[in-house]
Amino acid sequence: MVLSRFWYVLLGLLLGVTLYLLHLASSMYNRAGLRARAEGLSADAQVVSWYLRDDARQRSAELIPFALEPDVAKYLQKSNESEAKVPEDARGKLTQALNRVSAQIPKSLGFDSVFAVDQNGRVVAYLGYEQASGMEDFELGGYPVVADALHGYVRDDTLVLDRMYRVVARPVEFDLSAMPAGAIVGARVIDDRFARELSQRTGAAVAFYANGQRAAAASPADFNTANLDAIVGDLTDLEQDKDYHEKGRSGVREIGGLIAVQYTRLPGEAWRLGAGYAVARQPAAVSGPLGFFSKADDKDKKQGNLPLAVIAALVAAGLGILFSVLEHTRPLRVFKTEAAKFAAGSIELLTPSHFRGVFRKIAADVNDGVDKQLAKGGGPRRGPADFKEVLGDLPDQPVMSAFSLPGDAVADAAGSGPLSVGNLPSSAHGGSGARQLPTPPGSAPRRLPRPPGAGPVTPASAPAHLDATMPEGGLSGWGTGAPDEAEWQDVFKEFVATKQQCGETIEGFTYEKFVERLRKNRDALVNKYGAKRVKFGVHVKDGKAALKANPIRE
Amino acid sequence: MKASWAALLIALVPASAEAAKLRGRVDGFRNLLNPVWAEAKDPKEHGYSFREPVPTVRAEFRRLFPHAPKEICIAALAAGPQKSPPPVLVRIGGGRTTPVTLVVPPGTRLTFQNTDPFKHRLHGVGFPTFQPADTVRGATREWSVPGPGVFEIRDELAPSLRMWVVGDPTVAAIAYPSMKGDFALSVEQPGEYTVQAFFAGKKVGPAMPVTVKEADLDLTKTPLKVGDEKAAAAAEKADAEKAKADAETDAKGGDK
Repeated sequence: MVLSRFWYVLLGLLLGVTLYLLHLASSMYNRAGLRARAEGLSADAQVVSWYLRDDARQRSAELIPFALEPDVAKYLQKSNESEAKVPEDARGKLTQALNRVSAQIPKSLGFDSVFAVDQNGRVVAYLGYEQASGMEDFELGGYPVVADALHGYVRDDTLVLDRMYRVVARPVEFDLSAMPAGAIVGARVIDDRFARELSQRTGAAVAFYANGQRAAAASPADFNTANLDAIVGDLTDLEQDKDYHEKGRSGVREIGGLIAVQYTRLPGEAWRLGAGYAVARQPAAVSGPLGFFSKADDKDKKQGNLPLAVIAALVAAGLGILFSVLEHTRPLRVFKTEAAKFAAGSIELLTPSHFRGVFRKIAADVNDGVDKQLAKGGGPRRGPADFKEVLGDLPDQPVMSAFSLPGDAVADAAGSGPLSVGNLPSSAHGGSGARQLPTPPGSAPRRLPRPPGAGPVTPASAPAHLDATMPEGGLSGWGTGAPDEAEWQDVFKEFVATKQQCGETIEGFTYEKFVERLRKNRDALVNKYGAKRVKFGVHVKDGKAALKANPIRE
Repeated sequence: MKASWAALLIALVPASAEAAKLRGRVDGFRNLLNPVWAEAKDPKEHGYSFREPVPTVRAEFRRLFPHAPKEICIAALAAGPQKSPPPVLVRIGGGRTTPVTLVVPPGTRLTFQNTDPFKHRLHGVGFPTFQPADTVRGATREWSVPGPGVFEIRDELAPSLRMWVVGDPTVAAIAYPSMKGDFALSVEQPGEYTVQAFFAGKKVGPAMPVTVKEADLDLTKTPLKVGDEKAAAAAEKADAEKAKADAETDAKGGDK
């Protein structure tokens, strides 16, 4: 029992500890996930920022071939000389020059649009900006990025025009002693293609937004790009973010449990227009201990060492079953077998040494119980020999008591025959204080416990044996010979002994009272049935000592 | 562009065969600083991720002086109030308006025309008569100068676009200098005038009193000095030191 109980406790403890650990693990996982996500988003935002800056620098270098192209400088200067109107030949020549240079730029570093701007800010020629087709007065000179280039600076900007553009510009010099002849401006449209390229190179899920709308988005393969649309609903609240407002980068914001995002303003005019980009990551939290199952991918499951878990479970179950068999099933089976033998009478009593643990105690208790019951006379019996019958109809013939005392019974002092009990003094009828117990076939007779206060058992003092079924005529000696009072002394002694055996108190129980009661009953029976005399016997009823009266007419 | 700009001047200045020409010249305008561009170069404005000078461009050209033909307005101010001229065309395009600074009598109607291939949303700053409204490509929008004073107009969709309209009832004529600083005012009526340069909504340089008779006047010998080189150099030096200090602060603070 100890092993299996210990095992149950151990399993219970393990289960509790496992549940606690799982909750702990999920909490730690979520906390670590939040921290990692925040750090990851910040890293993503920083990487995107670096990428945009580096990309702008690289592309500004790609403007050098334009600036060094002789025709570009020459025809920009020619345009400057005509403040009234851009010379048409300058437009044509510049367009050709732009095309020539543009064809030599690697595609990965190329521009969507290129503009050649003269000192007046007028766009003399351009590539890739069809929106301006036919607009002779199209100009860009007011934008700070172009103005800076016209004043000798190379820089970048982010413009929000009809679309969002990343722009770089640098001066074009014709005469080094004079102002730059103009500026060359390269622009890239911030569209899905741009975002895709950025996402591929940085590994970030990124969305650009302007004017409260998503302008472009792209994400790695394991990220649902459509989730980035959720930022549109969040942009209205974004201005309330203090960090975003002051530093240009928001804190980590979770949108609808779908994604966590961090917003960053784009440098340039876009900054003041509230345009920027958002990097996003999907939340990595688990809803509870079972959430790990849904979050684990194949790689995680491979790391899970399922065979070890199965083996551990099988070993634990096997140990539990083994302990259960050893401590429950097997002892119970032994006990069952022994009990069956006991019931069949093939054994006299259960042998405690055959059992283990609590079954040993049960066997001892059963044996003790049987002994006690036998000492009480085998317990209550049903049948005609009941004291109730004393008050019932008088039979025509003398009725034999269920526990009459045959006078010819011989006690076997050696114990090989019927067991003699009590040390009651022999009566005039040959020792009525002894009873004979039935013995199971093939088994040795058991000695009944002696009543307290009884003397030692001797063959002479135990002449009678107890017989449950008295032969007819066994009472022939009753009512003849000695007077009632002589018998009643024996009956009294037997009655007292039986009461003691049944555990009843005999305090205050005197012979005088006993005799008085017998007399009263005798007289009543004699009067009622016309009996000559009444013979009393002792028996046990419902675990208590009781008297039975037999009226005798002759 | 020049043709339409000339049309503006023609519209602003009443044509008259008897109009006298005041030919003059502004000097030192390269010592002025375009407020929009100057603001944009401040790193704290986050206008760029990198901005570096090209070494081959001489330092004097790196100063962000205004584009005089659009930003410096030369006005001839009469002794008394003048009639409002016909509507004045203001083009919106290229990140600015043309002109950037305009000096007109109150009540003058301005017609804003969008010459960009995308929309603009102009609005007045600090006065209610010019509320934000979209002006799509090629469309126009009108507004009358409500009274004397300086009225700043901006574009909600293009932060770099800023325009100043100066309402002055004594404006008799205006002109815009060339890249070299030359200008010509056409004054219809003889009389006493004051020639004054305006830049970014403010008067710059000294006022030059002139007496106009029937003959043209040549004022080029006494150019209007609108910008002081020493002051500009001092401002530039202070600006450079401030930029240097900011850069050091940024370097200590790390890249955010």
